[in-house]
Amino acid sequence: MSVLLEAVGLSKAYGHVEALAGADFDVKAGEVVAVIGDNGAGKSTLVRILSGSEQADSGTVLFDGRPVTIANPQDARRLGIETVFQDLALAPHLDPVQNMYLGREVMRRGLLGTLGFMDVKSMRAGSRRAFDDLGATVTNLTGPVGSMSGGQRQGIAVARAAAWASKVIFLDEPTAALGVVQTRNVLDLIRRVSQNGIGVVFISHSMPHVMEVADRIQVMRRGRRVATFRASETTMEQLVGAMTGALAQDGAS
Amino acid sequence: MSGAVSTPQTAPATADRAPSGVGARILRAQGLQIVFILAVIVVFFSALKPDAFLSVSNFRGIVVNTSILAVLGVGMTLVIVTGGIDLSVGSVLVFSGVVADKTMKALGGQGWGVAAVGLLVACACGLGWGVLNGVIIAKGKVPPLITTLGSLGMALGFSQIMTTGIDLRDVPDVLVNNIGFGNVFGQVPSLSVISLVVILLGYVVLHHTRFGLYTFAVGSNAEAGRRVGIGVDRHLIKVYALCGLLAGFAGMMNLSFFQSTTISGQSNTNLNVIAGVVIGGTSLFGGAGSIFGTVIGLLIPSTLQNGFVIIGVQSFWQQVVVGAVLIAAVFTDQRRRARSMAGATSRTHPLLRLRRGTPPQGEPR
Amino acid sequence: MTRHRYLAAGAAAMVLLTAACSSSNTASSSSSGGTKKNGPYKIAFVQGVAGDAFYITMQCAIQAEAKTVNATVNVQGPQKFDPTLQTPIVQSVVSTKPDALLIAPTDVSAMQQPIAQAQKAGIKVVLVDTTLKDPSVAVSAISSDNLGGGKAAFDAIKQLVPGGGKVLLVSVQPGISTTDDRAKGFQQAAAADSTFKDLGIQYDQDDPQKAAQIVSAALQKDPDIVGIFATNLFSAEGAATGIRQAGKQNQVKIVGFDAGPDQVKALKDGTVQALVAQQPGTIGKDGVDQAIASLKGDTVTANIKTEFTILTKDNIDSADGQAAVYKSSC
Repeated sequence: MSVLLEAVGLSKAYGHVEALAGADFDVKAGEVVAVIGDNGAGKSTLVRILSGSEQADSGTVLFDGRPVTIANPQDARRLGIETVFQDLALAPHLDPVQNMYLGREVMRRGLLGTLGFMDVKSMRAGSRRAFDDLGATVTNLTGPVGSMSGGQRQGIAVARAAAWASKVIFLDEPTAALGVVQTRNVLDLIRRVSQNGIGVVFISHSMPHVMEVADRIQVMRRGRRVATFRASETTMEQLVGAMTGALAQDGAS
Repeated sequence: MSGAVSTPQTAPATADRAPSGVGARILRAQGLQIVFILAVIVVFFSALKPDAFLSVSNFRGIVVNTSILAVLGVGMTLVIVTGGIDLSVGSVLVFSGVVADKTMKALGGQGWGVAAVGLLVACACGLGWGVLNGVIIAKGKVPPLITTLGSLGMALGFSQIMTTGIDLRDVPDVLVNNIGFGNVFGQVPSLSVISLVVILLGYVVLHHTRFGLYTFAVGSNAEAGRRVGIGVDRHLIKVYALCGLLAGFAGMMNLSFFQSTTISGQSNTNLNVIAGVVIGGTSLFGGAGSIFGTVIGLLIPSTLQNGFVIIGVQSFWQQVVVGAVLIAAVFTDQRRRARSMAGATSRTHPLLRLRRGTPPQGEPR
Repeated sequence: MTRHRYLAAGAAAMVLLTAACSSSNTASSSSSGGTKKNGPYKIAFVQGVAGDAFYITMQCAIQAEAKTVNATVNVQGPQKFDPTLQTPIVQSVVSTKPDALLIAPTDVSAMQQPIAQAQKAGIKVVLVDTTLKDPSVAVSAISSDNLGGGKAAFDAIKQLVPGGGKVLLVSVQPGISTTDDRAKGFQQAAAADSTFKDLGIQYDQDDPQKAAQIVSAALQKDPDIVGIFATNLFSAEGAATGIRQAGKQNQVKIVGFDAGPDQVKALKDGTVQALVAQQPGTIGKDGVDQAIASLKGDTVTANIKTEFTILTKDNIDSADGQAAVYKSSC
């Protein structure tokens, strides 16, 4: 499988805080990669840069082997990269369909479309399909998203990213505040998305979940990638060791 | 991977649900409540003075008196739905009227041509102030309350400079006779018909177009809008521009009705419009609102004042009641939002927010 | 859905209720220019502004006179002397179908149409205090001889400051017939007298605070002002405050129009030196009489000019002086 998205030597400083100091990263198509690390390791910064919300001070980003510049979220989206940040970026007053298609509404054909009228029916059908495909539990397509449970909201956000992404999805702490059942659903969702050939990258603090659903695990520490493990070939102790620096190893995957 | 894969649930068919869930459930409940309140008020005064209150000409009077406010209300609804506010509408109305009056006087004549130019000028002035507001708010990141407070002062000040504080009264006869006091189809006041057209357009735009959807989105979660590529700043400018344009248009309607620029008569207009919008169910926190609600919300104070005058009570009571209804409306809105938005944490009131686009809370942590 | 239907049903019900119960009011029910020989009569009195002693005095007289002619009075007034506020009140009052409307229009042109509509509905209109551009919609117009009053005010200043000097006028807003006439009378008299310099008119929109600011600022600009003429009650109130704030009570003489309780106190304190008191009570009483005469089909006097009294510290406590003071409650 080819490497879809790769970053080499990314550096980013906020004032005199070095968030990234020559960090590397890679993800292949259809692969689930977990990015772990202690607080301040640079995980969120890495994701923000790769999703276009911020720019690295130095380093290269390669997409399908070619160097690219991801200057803003639109560039990322154009490449087929979607991101779900911790705040989910859902509009609580809008319903799941409107959130799903936010910024990418399907307009009616002809004059009505130019005047701004949307094809609600087809958007509703498309959303239904996306939610069903990914097993997101959304029972009410016309209620405000703000009135739904955390798990449902997560499901909508991930389904939105999955529906629009064609190459890579980034998820920042997708299970952070979810209960057991909801977490289960989200992990299943992640699996299903990767089965569609999309590279899924998620940040997590939860070792068990990481071990369960990831194919590969990248450990970050102090702004650089310090280790990469295959999930099936590693142990919790090894991961924690790499995170805290007790074990220093940069190796093959 | 361990663990069973859970079966995906399917949702019931949703094909024939009522349109757009934009806080629609919240709103429909609020909308029903205020229609009920208006009905109660109508029944109350009708019981006391049926022949005076409950008559077509009286209702006509109420509707005519609310027409100009309704036009302002449409613009204000959009602004408040984005989580902002526009205090300058009264002053922009005056300013537009003053400039239009001077233009029409310079052109001379009493006919439709002059009136048309006046209308264009008034709308252009309104649009200009609206764009100014929007740019300062969206790009300058100055809070809407402060920005529009400033433009309120400037617009009014300029009006007073241009007129030395003395109202201008050069309104072409066609405007006064046909718009201000004319009727279409016999009994229906032209002013109200114009107002109704604006209301219907506003309704369609807000509730059925992408522009309206983005307005709700920006009010609900501007940051989310930005992330998905909605030009939030540009959209805000457009919304404030539209509000200003409608204030300019209303300035022309005002001129036709009062035959005067009414410089000192609009000092409470902004608050009256805001009260109507809020009573009508639009949330000051943004993200939810309705044009229909605004119209009812504006009719309530007008009907109250009319009723009190008819039953011979001091119309000061109208202010007391409207104040109480306003508080009650916001209180119920808060309660309903809290119940509806499960898990929503408290937010800094948008009027006090110091930066636009503060990421919203209300997500699981 | 269900709620939607409730909404629609509710709206429809309201419309039907209106249609079913509406009296045929488009054909005006009260006498289309006809007469009403006997009472009881329904009179509506719309003040220029509520809470103003001038209009309260008028109201008291109207209510007293109404009792004697078998009439009831509905009194309403806007919060500010402004046509945007007075118009909805007039429209509501017209709906009550009074026999007569006594009104002090807040603008000569903006109130023309709303009052014309009252007349079209068959209501006898009497203009009290202020008037309209086209007063023919009314059966009678009653006010003080404001031109004469303005001149009298100038005479009072001349008496107080025989040596002459700079004088300032503080008025309300152009377009109000009464204050415009008072200013005109004063300015005409001042122009004819070479010892006085007319600094012009400043407008305060009937806001005493603004009047105070205007006077303070004017005194800064021209510290040697000897006299101020305030053309109405609130203006006089504010001007007196402004002079007090500038500490120039002894230097600047004020002549105010109207003798409300606050002005009378100021007169007694010495902050104001003379007051031109109108006779709002007489205006009100005459207004009622003319309205009833019109309703009965008797002869109506189209124009009545009432007189004024000059009040100074010397005559304020006399019987005539006390009678001229305005009331703050009936």
